[in-house]
Amino acid sequence: MTMTTGAPGAGASIEPDPGKRKLSTSKAIQEAIAQQMRADEGVFVMGEDVGSYGGIFSSTTGLLEEFGPQRIIDTPISETAFIGTGIGAAVEGMRPIVELMFVDFFGVCMDQIYNHMAKIHYESGGNVQVPMVLMTAVGGGYSDGAQHSQSLWGTFAHLPGMKVVVPSNPYDAKGLMTAAIRSNDPVVFMFHKGVMGLGWMKKNQRSVGAVPEESYEVPIGKARVAREGTDVTIVTLSLSVHHALDVAEKLEPEGISVEVIDLRSLVPLDRDAILASVSKTGRLIVVDEDYQSFGVSGEVIASVAERRPGLLTHVSRVCVPDVPLPYASQLEYGVLPTPARIEAAVREAVADRLSS
Amino acid sequence: MSEVIFPTMSEADDATGVLVTWFVDSGDDVTTSTLIAEVAVDKVDAEVYPQSAGTITLLVDEGAEVPQGSVIATIG
Repeated sequence: MTMTTGAPGAGASIEPDPGKRKLSTSKAIQEAIAQQMRADEGVFVMGEDVGSYGGIFSSTTGLLEEFGPQRIIDTPISETAFIGTGIGAAVEGMRPIVELMFVDFFGVCMDQIYNHMAKIHYESGGNVQVPMVLMTAVGGGYSDGAQHSQSLWGTFAHLPGMKVVVPSNPYDAKGLMTAAIRSNDPVVFMFHKGVMGLGWMKKNQRSVGAVPEESYEVPIGKARVAREGTDVTIVTLSLSVHHALDVAEKLEPEGISVEVIDLRSLVPLDRDAILASVSKTGRLIVVDEDYQSFGVSGEVIASVAERRPGLLTHVSRVCVPDVPLPYASQLEYGVLPTPARIEAAVREAVADRLSS
Repeated sequence: MSEVIFPTMSEADDATGVLVTWFVDSGDDVTTSTLIAEVAVDKVDAEVYPQSAGTITLLVDEGAEVPQGSVIATIG
């Protein structure tokens, strides 16, 4: 399967200056969708509570008022049906954005996602494209229990045929959503509830930031150096980027220099960016809110080990151990990749440097 | 000098809300189309735009509980 990005303006690699105007991540996503809906009549939104409710994590607030119920379509609880409907619209040339309210619900509709959305292009010999965005909320940290707190991006990234993007901040969220809508491939857009900037969630200062007013793309498949450093590389994504940056700032006065790589996309994975950073530091920590085994952390480490095995002087990972996410807050924060766990991992990684 | 008021969102006269997010800092220049804040009362959110243009001074902290109808910023 060839991954193509054929729409006008696609492939632009220069990300514009963020400017001064600030938005939350949720408002940045709304703005990206609204701008693409104004530009292209084929773009529409469908899902549970995307209309007057505005999406339960405010991904679609205000869109019904501007675009009406023909293009902002509330659905019954029927994921197989409405994701299938989105796929049908996409193969006929429209550009649907379909919201799966919680990624945890993929279980009831995965046949549509990975056997149809992800495989139609391949099985048609490249003749039929599926320019669809599957938008979904991920992540825990607010006591929503084992069926509403998972990240699961590793599951989607494992299966061929879908691009997978996971923004951590407002700027990337708008640029990646714009790129996802314009892409001629199916794109799974996974936003962590904790980076949306919602008042009723635990607030994170980095969930509000400067966002250009015009349309722009953040290229899918390109990681970002969120912070430069020389001692140890943290490769991470989504909410954990913020935790990693907090730890890096905290440890800087002690002379510990942490580089933070925000993957932004999992498919395609920017292996060159990972390798470039580890070439500099030699020490690699992968922080991942998804389950530890058979996932992103193993893939990142293998990417380095396969290409430059001699580079690594230290490897570790801070992930969710392979247990369901607990409801009780104390237990949940016992398994999440918290700043305290990340800090301990960094200290362990550089222990040899400090003792020599 | 004009005042920015926490909007009245609840029918209860003594309702208190939360200043959820400031999108600007004191000293920033704003216009009537600048999104300056998001506020919430009883989990209902509202966006706040200024009535006039000028340089803004914030009077309450982000996360603070604020009685609806109170002054949250001035514009000079």
